[in-house]
Amino acid sequence: MSQASIIENLTPESIQSGFASLGYICDESIAMAIYLAVKLNKPILVEGPPGVGKTELAKATASLVDQSLIRLQCYEGLDESKALYEWKYGKQLLYTQVLKDKLGDLLKGAHGLSESVERLHEFGDIFYSEDFLEPRPLLQALKEPNGTVLLIDEIDKSDHEFESFLLEMLSDYQISVPEIGTIKANSTPIVFLTSNNTRELSDALKRRCLHLYIPFPDIKLERKIIQSRVPEAPADLREQLVNFVHTLRDMDLKKHPAISETIDWARALVLLHANSLDAALVKNTLNLLLKHEEDISQVKQELTAVLNKNKAKR
Amino acid sequence: MDNTFVEFIHALRGADVRVSTAEALDAMQVLQLVGYHNRSALKLALGQALAKSEEEKHSFNACFDHYFQFTSMDSLKEHTETALKEMESQQSEQTPSLISNILSGDMLAAMSQITNPQPSSPLEAAQSETPLGQLLLSGDQAAAAMAIASAGQSTNASQIQVMTQKGLYGRRMMMAMGLEAMEEEIWQAELSGNINHQLLAQQLRSARDVLRSEVKDYIERQFVLQAKAKGKQLRQETMMSVRLEHLREFKDTQVLVRKLAKRLAKKHAQRKKVHNRGQLDVRSTLRLSIPHGGIMFNPQWRSKRTNRPKVFVICDVSGSVSQVARFLLMFLYSLADVLPKVRAFAFSSQLGEVTELFQQLELDDAIDETLDRYGNGSTNYGQAFLDFNDHCLRDVDSKTTVIILGDARNNYGDAEIESLREIKQRCHQLIWLNPEQRSRWGSGDSEMKRYHAHCTLAEVCNSLSHLERAIDKLLIRQ
Repeated sequence: MSQASIIENLTPESIQSGFASLGYICDESIAMAIYLAVKLNKPILVEGPPGVGKTELAKATASLVDQSLIRLQCYEGLDESKALYEWKYGKQLLYTQVLKDKLGDLLKGAHGLSESVERLHEFGDIFYSEDFLEPRPLLQALKEPNGTVLLIDEIDKSDHEFESFLLEMLSDYQISVPEIGTIKANSTPIVFLTSNNTRELSDALKRRCLHLYIPFPDIKLERKIIQSRVPEAPADLREQLVNFVHTLRDMDLKKHPAISETIDWARALVLLHANSLDAALVKNTLNLLLKHEEDISQVKQELTAVLNKNKAKR
Repeated sequence: MDNTFVEFIHALRGADVRVSTAEALDAMQVLQLVGYHNRSALKLALGQALAKSEEEKHSFNACFDHYFQFTSMDSLKEHTETALKEMESQQSEQTPSLISNILSGDMLAAMSQITNPQPSSPLEAAQSETPLGQLLLSGDQAAAAMAIASAGQSTNASQIQVMTQKGLYGRRMMMAMGLEAMEEEIWQAELSGNINHQLLAQQLRSARDVLRSEVKDYIERQFVLQAKAKGKQLRQETMMSVRLEHLREFKDTQVLVRKLAKRLAKKHAQRKKVHNRGQLDVRSTLRLSIPHGGIMFNPQWRSKRTNRPKVFVICDVSGSVSQVARFLLMFLYSLADVLPKVRAFAFSSQLGEVTELFQQLELDDAIDETLDRYGNGSTNYGQAFLDFNDHCLRDVDSKTTVIILGDARNNYGDAEIESLREIKQRCHQLIWLNPEQRSRWGSGDSEMKRYHAHCTLAEVCNSLSHLERAIDKLLIRQ
């Protein structure tokens, strides 16, 4: 199937099942967001705690619609020369050198200054032209002939100016290069913006996007995720470890374990040939789940209580 | 359905979800794409197009659940079904009456029953002639719900303001739907001796009761959605302009102050200044040099500094000004994102620093504690300035904004103009906020006119909107 017809035939249900076959288990809200984004040509702003698969969602979408993924990681100080385009200075300097040499030939026979300037004007200005333009991720995404998935990761880390500078790109899928003019997208990319909510994004940006909030998954969904990602884990263990992680998320910790950490932990437990959770095993592998010393010691203290509670739950 | 949708948007705005026109248009597109048939899908889709933060999502969900209550149609269906069943059972009682008529020899009655044979289904028997009756008996729930909604719109039910209007609007809506004609029909049908007509009357009456309760629910929903939102808006507007002394009588002032503070913080977040020194930004300098043949005419610097103003607040917390002080402090400490360095001082007869209280305690407790400690005593501005200069004039530098809050009523004591001037000379700006009207400045024991001469800015400040404006100015003038 061609890419266009894949996109044409998407429905929320087909997206959900498509993702599942790619190993990305999601609920209806995620599928609906992708569906709307594709149909309405709107960017999606994805928010949620770290490690719930925001970046993974963009990757999964790229493979679902069979398009390449262009990723732009935001950080403080990111500016348009790193995100959008850059002039090829070296080549431009060489060009001026070449121009200087040729200038004599060009102006040969010209009488007076005004005639020379006229001739110079006739000479096309290629100094600022697309030949000397070095495309960066955003421009690349617009130039892609068959569409692409563009991931602007952790937009909350970038500066305010960068955010405003994205607005044109997000609403009209075009960007203005002052020296050349406006460059329009060859085909509309699917755009994801992710944010960890370290700062509030501007209303102007939010207005242009669909908003998807991904919370930590519920127990059922997380079990499914583990089943799909770590199929070699026995069912009993899977249930226990997901329950355990959920209990941790209810506790007052500095940083709660994310899905990616649950997956890592499950892999580690499989590696250790564990069939069920016991206190010693958890104690030794806890550092895979929790990344702060205080958290680890707090959980170790309450470990038996937590494990017993889980047993009771079952 | 467009009208319904617009009302929904209004309700959302009332529930503190910011919906711009562009977003409303997007949502209309979403609506067309997803359709009304799948409620949960619609909720998800609209939520993604309209609510743009976790907080807004909660408000949205609550609002949506209230607004699109499709369950009501089901109950209508149930009622009609039970009514039908009742009639069927009554009909089965009719047949024995025929037999008994024959048996009793009353052939005339029996003949009339046979020549007017009982129809097999009650639906065929009962043909209502009014449009409303037909609609209700047809059992088409979607159409009934639509009719209720359109009656609601034609009677402007969304304009409902107070509880007591519920009955009035209910009656109006029933009228708009053509209740009068139906009542008449019921009455006529009951009067006629024909059994079919009496059956119809019974059916219609039960349908009417169902409708009445549906309409009542509809109005209830409108009230919850619209009037509540409007009431809240109205109250917040009042709270903004009411004098701060009276503001304590209102509920959730702190919520409003937080909201205002958040708005200001957003507006002034990340104000950055580019410096003309520091590390050279080679990349952008080189870039700008290209048109000049590689000669670097226009050096660019790397260092950008976020302006985080240092603020010292000196608050008069004696009886007359203490309420204003409460809100000023509440405001400043809610602005922690933009103003991380706030030091607070309180005085009536003598001055002391209360910054620590605000770091250790909850906002409300800290303010109460401040008022407790320093609030008793007669005001002495001169002493306060002397104390301040002794205590921390050294910490005041050219980036510091000093805010003084007070009515400048010095009880005829020494004004210590000189101390104030010292502060002014050292700081970036000196702002005086006075809760009294400008016309009263300088009257009686007020030293305001004299102090005014040494302030960068002196403002009247006795309501939340004054306070917001003053702090906005403070942030702009950095």
